[in-house]
Amino acid sequence: MTDLTPMPALGRAAVSSLRAGALTISVNEAVALAGLALRRGAAPPAPMGLVLPGPGRWSAGQAVAAFWTGPGQWMIEAEGRAGEDVARALKTRHPDCSVTEQTDGWVAFEIVSVAGGAPIVRLMEKLINVDAAGFGPGCATRTGLEHMSVFVIRRTEDRLAIIGMRTLAGSLWHAIETAAMRQQEEPA
Amino acid sequence: MTRLSGGLIDRSEHLNFTFDGKSYTGHRGDTLASALLANDVRLMGRSFKYHRPRGVVAAGSEEPNALVELRAGARQEPNTRATVAELYDGLVANSQNRVGSLERDFLAVNDLLSPFFAAGFYYKTFMWPKAFWEKLYEPMIRRAAGLGSLSMLPDPDSYDKGFLHCDLLVIGAGAAGLAAALTAARAGAKVILADEDFRLGGRLMAESHTLDDAAAMDWVASLEAEFASLPNLRVMRRTTVFGAFDHGIFGAVERVSDHLATPGTAVRQTLWRITAKRTVLAAGATERHIPFANNDRPGIMLAGAMRAYANRWAVSPAETVAIFTSGDDGHRTALDLAAKGVTIAGVIDTRADAKALGKYPLFAGAVVSDAKGRLGLERIAVTREGQTSWLDVGALGVAGGWNPNVHLASHHRGRPLWDDAAQAFLPEPGAVPGLTAAGAAAGQGTTAAALASGAAVAQAALAELGITASLPALPRAEDAPQRQAAFWHVPGKGRAWVDFQNDVTVKDINLAHLENMRPVEHLKRWTTLGMATDQGKTANVTALAVMAELTGKTIAQTGTTIFRPPYTGVALSTLGHGDTGTHFRPRRLTPTHEWAKAQGAVFVEVGQWMRAQYFPRKGEKTWRETVDREVLATRAGVGLCDVTTLGKVDVQGADAGEFLNRVYANAMASLKVGMVRYGLMLREDGFAYDDGTCARLAEDHYIVTTTTAQAGPVYRHMEFCRQCLWPELDVQLISTTDAWAQISVAGPNARKLLERVVDGFDLSNEAFPFMACSELTVCGGLRARLFRISFSGELAYEIAVPARYGNALMARMIEVGADLGATPYGTEALGVLRIEQGHAAGNELNGQTTAQMLGMGKMVSTKKDAIGAVMSRREGLLAETRVLVGLQPVDPTQPVTAGSHLFAQGAAQKTETDQGWITSACYSPHVGSMIGLGFLTGGAARMGEVITAANPLQNQQIALRVVPTHFVDPEGGRLRD
Repeated sequence: MTDLTPMPALGRAAVSSLRAGALTISVNEAVALAGLALRRGAAPPAPMGLVLPGPGRWSAGQAVAAFWTGPGQWMIEAEGRAGEDVARALKTRHPDCSVTEQTDGWVAFEIVSVAGGAPIVRLMEKLINVDAAGFGPGCATRTGLEHMSVFVIRRTEDRLAIIGMRTLAGSLWHAIETAAMRQQEEPA
Repeated sequence: MTRLSGGLIDRSEHLNFTFDGKSYTGHRGDTLASALLANDVRLMGRSFKYHRPRGVVAAGSEEPNALVELRAGARQEPNTRATVAELYDGLVANSQNRVGSLERDFLAVNDLLSPFFAAGFYYKTFMWPKAFWEKLYEPMIRRAAGLGSLSMLPDPDSYDKGFLHCDLLVIGAGAAGLAAALTAARAGAKVILADEDFRLGGRLMAESHTLDDAAAMDWVASLEAEFASLPNLRVMRRTTVFGAFDHGIFGAVERVSDHLATPGTAVRQTLWRITAKRTVLAAGATERHIPFANNDRPGIMLAGAMRAYANRWAVSPAETVAIFTSGDDGHRTALDLAAKGVTIAGVIDTRADAKALGKYPLFAGAVVSDAKGRLGLERIAVTREGQTSWLDVGALGVAGGWNPNVHLASHHRGRPLWDDAAQAFLPEPGAVPGLTAAGAAAGQGTTAAALASGAAVAQAALAELGITASLPALPRAEDAPQRQAAFWHVPGKGRAWVDFQNDVTVKDINLAHLENMRPVEHLKRWTTLGMATDQGKTANVTALAVMAELTGKTIAQTGTTIFRPPYTGVALSTLGHGDTGTHFRPRRLTPTHEWAKAQGAVFVEVGQWMRAQYFPRKGEKTWRETVDREVLATRAGVGLCDVTTLGKVDVQGADAGEFLNRVYANAMASLKVGMVRYGLMLREDGFAYDDGTCARLAEDHYIVTTTTAQAGPVYRHMEFCRQCLWPELDVQLISTTDAWAQISVAGPNARKLLERVVDGFDLSNEAFPFMACSELTVCGGLRARLFRISFSGELAYEIAVPARYGNALMARMIEVGADLGATPYGTEALGVLRIEQGHAAGNELNGQTTAQMLGMGKMVSTKKDAIGAVMSRREGLLAETRVLVGLQPVDPTQPVTAGSHLFAQGAAQKTETDQGWITSACYSPHVGSMIGLGFLTGGAARMGEVITAANPLQNQQIALRVVPTHFVDPEGGRLRD
């Protein structure tokens, strides 16, 4: 176990959680990510028992989830295992796949609504050019957010995840925070 | 003038406002224009060129005259149309484009000089004396140009943006738009109804017509109640759809807080990008005026606007008014105003067979030929059969027919089509895919026709989407046929204004015709017709008709101008949606950012990255002092630099080696596992694209590094190669730039320092030689990657750990390496170290240089093919003799300036004798002078020669000696030590 202290995506002094009206936004520092791509002729595996989703989709199992990132490619999410070498473990189990550690390449913002899906939809309208009406639970896509490339996952009706480049964490947080706070400030 | 009866204003609420410092009162529901009229203010502005007194002409966003500076201080906004400025308590407005008071504008002298300011005058004058242009003419014109003024203060408001998607976008909430939205929303389609007004109803608010024998606004109110219950319908008031862009995307500005004194914490405006599967353009129509002598007197306005002010805002511009019309519509204004108690001095109808529709004097077959009243209309001249009489009136409504608002239908370059029956241009069907016009925008003149067409167009649009919509029961509405004669201007001697905002007269069009500026585009540029903030909404068609008359052609033959976005002006702050200052664009922070900040680093923007430029210490007075220290510390001990910004691409698969062989000019498949190779990529055209390293971690696993600047493009290029060029190869790519923090550890003590952090890894030269790489663990089990590569010419490594540990690793290495002289260095020192080592970087890899020029010609393998290899052997490129050389001043005190051009000593300095240029330069503490790199013709054979570097910008002529590119350790012994 290393004695080095990891740095949170937003820096040590920054808040990593925010309540804005019905929305709570927090940084998920614990999720491990790994890119998994099929090699020529390989059949899609079932990492940790998970059936990998099709294009535009996200699927979840027991403490593991995955979203489609391209033909024959997925991002595997292993909740609570950011400190582990999940990529190596996956590669060992699935040697006919290319596996790449991605945990620290990204920052995951988890957005939860206590008032159903409407606040999530309104937030999406301000952040990304994706038709929220057609982006229900289980949908995932890669899109632009304030000129930054992000993955967006509708985990449930009232939960949205935005996964962006870790080096852009501060700018992403600013964008999400601003949009969420403005939901409360719309004039009559 | 007291208010008339009726109207859609809330008389119980009194709103105070000022115009030019004078206090007035209006009501909720007023616009600034209606409130001013209600306070007997007819003079609202000055014209652009001649500074003629002007009053309000229209009642909507087409207004050309009543432009004001709205609000004060930093929120002051010039060129705001008083006709769409929603009145609020405390509103402050000032007239603009004047010197002195609005009544006594000194620049009105321009009007007296008007013979000198005819169309195209600025193309013909100011030619001589030549020296006067910059010193006199241009400053003078710049001072005179423009309308309102800017506050020059930072915008205090915030702006927002957003994205909406719908099945049907309905633009305009008049009769047609409301019927379309109702039809579609009831069918369950996802509908957006947008209107620039703050109330729904469009022209229904301006008319006295009934719907089903009740007030039209009763029907609108019932619809609003139903709309509120339909979750699939989004009603967007105060929202102008200003542009039709590609792929069904429309730009819209929602004025979220403009109706409030200040936005408070809310945003002022929101820029929406609306993606619509289908669109109904129900933007209505704009009335035409009829030019006659002095038709710009304050009080002369469009008859439809006069009717709108009476019916919607319960105000008349004067107690006695007249109407000048060429169709039935003008008579409606007379009837509506008469019904409200306004005296109608007469209706002057150009048609000899015109009939009065009510009790008012009719002048059939007559025209208005002149007007008097400089600051406000007093009299009009009525001419019939050569006899002129004068009528005393305070206002004149002019009705010359209606132009459908076809603008958005033209945004894809669709040309509106002239329709003789409608006497108007209609939208070209299909000009914007998925967009269909309805109602007045499609030339439907009556309310009944507008309602029916809105519903029918919506139904048809939804049918294309597979959505079945039933036509709703629409209210019974007026459906009287409207007769309209073609009458475009009153001939005469005086100046008759066509374009009020740009002061373009019939005479100007005549002059353009005489000077052969006859095509529509030439007419526009010669006269400035339609160029101002109103984009000729009330002028263009009339001008075309006048030109058609002059040329003897039909209007259809004369053509039309088309329209570009935006339909009405959009503030730059809105387009930028408020991203200013630190948040103007995204910022990427390196993994060691927090540590560097704590050390007092000075940061520099490198693309999106914020990189530590240098780390000043107490007592260091200049940045050079700091950088010199960092460079010397690195060469003497060990320096550490965050190089995470270099692009990293993980390449895996059975064919990874073959793939890289094709992407890189040099061979990569032969690279041994555990080794790194410098690599050069070429573009298809044979020029150098990017350089970096390629490390082989396993038979089927490589890591490619790119330059910081090209990280994105190279990754995209590699994906293109993988997906499109060679899909048969078994290769998988993924960027890992962000995933790993990478720190350069350079200097003679680099190995000793690393030995203190690695977990028992053998770093000896034998076990881990120059250009080796390996996976390992550091600091008690943290997974890491180590590369023995050097950018500085020193014994050097790059160590990578998962990004979140980068900050701690940097702190740890500085801490444990204190006795070894561990020193952080920034991008400035990095630059010095690489120039001293003769390493090419972005300055040298600028897209115009070849491998041969970089001294890497032999790296382009002839044993295999690769992108750009064949083209790099083109005759022209092989004949190129400019190569990268080192440059050192003969006099060490002299500067070396990047960008300087190189010449043989004593040679004339001109393009033909130019022998190259300096790409990079710095002060080298190792050499003790400035040094440089540059491309020099025949450079390889000119070592030792003294040449001249010319920098005409700073009047520099510096004697430089040509030297090898390696200023430090040319044999490379330190690298391999």
